[in-house]
Amino acid sequence: MITAEQKPIDEIRKMIAPYKKVLAVGCGSCVAECAAGGEKETGALASALRMACKIAGEDKTIDEKTLDRQCVREFVIQLDDVIKDYDAILSLGCGAGVQAVAEMYNEVIVIPALNTEFLGETREQGLWVENCLGCGDCMLYFFGGICPLSRCSKQLLNGPCGGSQGGKCEINPDVPCAWQNIIDRLSSQNALERLEMIYPPKDWSKKHGSGPRKIVREDQQK
Amino acid sequence: MTVVSNLKKVLEEGKFAVTAECGPPKGADPEAVIKKAELLKGKVDAVNVTDNQTAIVRMSSMAACSLIKSIGLEPVLQMVVRDRNRIALQSDILGASALGIHNVLCLSGDHQKFGNQPQAVGVFDLDSIQLVKTVKDMRDEGKIIGGDALSKAPEMFIGAAANPFADPLAFRVVRLAKKVAAGANFIQTQCIYNLDRFEKWMEMVRDKGLIEKCYILGGVTPLKSPGMAKYMKNNVAGMDVPDELIQRMQGVSKDKWKEEGIKICVETVERLKSIKGISGVHIMAIEWEEAVGEIAEKSGLLPRPLV
Amino acid sequence: MKNKLTRNLAIFYCQNVPGSQDDVRQSLEEKYGKAVRLFPMPCSGRIDVVHLLRALEEYADAVYVITCPPGACRYHEGNKRIVKRVDTAKKIIESIGLEKDRIKLITPPIELALKPLTSFVEEIEEEAAAIEPSAMHKKKAQGAGNKVQGKKEKK
Repeated sequence: MITAEQKPIDEIRKMIAPYKKVLAVGCGSCVAECAAGGEKETGALASALRMACKIAGEDKTIDEKTLDRQCVREFVIQLDDVIKDYDAILSLGCGAGVQAVAEMYNEVIVIPALNTEFLGETREQGLWVENCLGCGDCMLYFFGGICPLSRCSKQLLNGPCGGSQGGKCEINPDVPCAWQNIIDRLSSQNALERLEMIYPPKDWSKKHGSGPRKIVREDQQK
Repeated sequence: MTVVSNLKKVLEEGKFAVTAECGPPKGADPEAVIKKAELLKGKVDAVNVTDNQTAIVRMSSMAACSLIKSIGLEPVLQMVVRDRNRIALQSDILGASALGIHNVLCLSGDHQKFGNQPQAVGVFDLDSIQLVKTVKDMRDEGKIIGGDALSKAPEMFIGAAANPFADPLAFRVVRLAKKVAAGANFIQTQCIYNLDRFEKWMEMVRDKGLIEKCYILGGVTPLKSPGMAKYMKNNVAGMDVPDELIQRMQGVSKDKWKEEGIKICVETVERLKSIKGISGVHIMAIEWEEAVGEIAEKSGLLPRPLV
Repeated sequence: MKNKLTRNLAIFYCQNVPGSQDDVRQSLEEKYGKAVRLFPMPCSGRIDVVHLLRALEEYADAVYVITCPPGACRYHEGNKRIVKRVDTAKKIIESIGLEKDRIKLITPPIELALKPLTSFVEEIEEEAAAIEPSAMHKKKAQGAGNKVQGKKEKK
């Protein structure tokens, strides 16, 4: 899933300041899962903004609507009927959602309420951790299902570095050393010899090689 | 490969080598480098020049290496993978060789978070082991990554670092073996205070057949104060400072701290000399370059052989 | 007892608070009329930040949340979870210029586990008199006087 966190309310207020009629649009997918932009959070943010406006004597309309997903046209299109009533959309979608909405309604100002962060998992309730950076060339098999590119602070393919201490990364005692974890995992699977080979330099062209990426599947097209 | 590295020659002739470290200044003054380097003349076989250590912006290692070479000292170019991609790293190897710098130490580098540019991107296009292999292929096959041929191969004596005290302990020797397999000719270790533990590591290294394939220089750092010993013990990752050394430092008066620190260092060097597979010592006297000469002398390592 | 309330309140409470059955709620609603809105919840842990904010936005000068004593939550963690949500809601209202004391969390100690809802409400009634009317609803509060925009009031 994609994770995100809400921007500080002052920052949001500054961005919506010039607009009189604002629609806060939430998303029921990833950002709902990480409690940043789902229906409840959209309701809370819209209520807080309305109160802020009243207290400051600002005349603004702030309404709310939550879509199942903001990154899929079929759902975004549900805004067709209401979009004309608003000068700006405050999107609580991830960066992909914000842009999909902006792409559909390019006369309308679309403002992001969230800072999109990482691809990750819900490790436990209330805890989300990064575990994938979308390199386009998955090597998880070799490392026992632990990605050294996203989870090692130095992206080492032949780790660990000299800063691994007590299973933690040198940059922060809260960050596990991915390489310690990889070694432990492969040891328990009797596959430690997989780490004896020298992994060659990563082919980063699969991520950065040709600018923003796209996937086209003709068998999925109309 | 024609012999162009003094360090290589000293090691190949079986003489116990001495290297030291020199940190470039946080500024553009060449005199700052030269003054420090002058303190090491005649005391060492080669001088490591650090590469934006701790991710703090300093004069480039390559430039500082060139400066110390100009006063007759042999440099070891330290090269981290944190700041440059493979294009720049390979380019710098060619440049270094062209400038007469023929020793390189390939390192990961401290994470950018520790330095004064924490908002910078950490490149890490290659890791330190991939860099060792890259330099080896450039030197021995005259090729860069991807196979394009070089018009002239660089001449490099390739080094890597090893930390016998970092976790995970059991894997450390496997990683060292990878570095040697990748092409490391010499290894410099993290500074050693716990000799018993170091000897155990060396036993594993010998068992793996690595001492026949590379030269290992044991790292040492003279303590300046009990506070420094405690700091290193508690705050620096991958450091093992036995309590008895802290007690020794605490046991002498303040005006004798440096003397005791050098004493401990000399004892360490003496013990390193007796360990099978140790071919030299790497003295890292942080902001205390004068100590290098004293340690070398008291360890009976002066004068340095002229090769 | 005469209703002394001159403020509008929202009171969220766990249905496991003693003496909080429907008939009690109804008689409280009769007593206080629109001044107090009561929200029985299966557990205080079911209350979300948005509920607290909406109450303050729409009518309430203050919002109260009454939980079960520590360790006595039927669902184990509900009354712990609500603590953090109340904190979040307080931070939000403070950041937009509303006093954070307008949200109050009442968690009785275990010795008072039998304290009934009416008892809590009576104490709230006493305390609420001292609360300034919320900037959100100042026109409705008594004695707001000159701050009303537009026409001058004739005495």
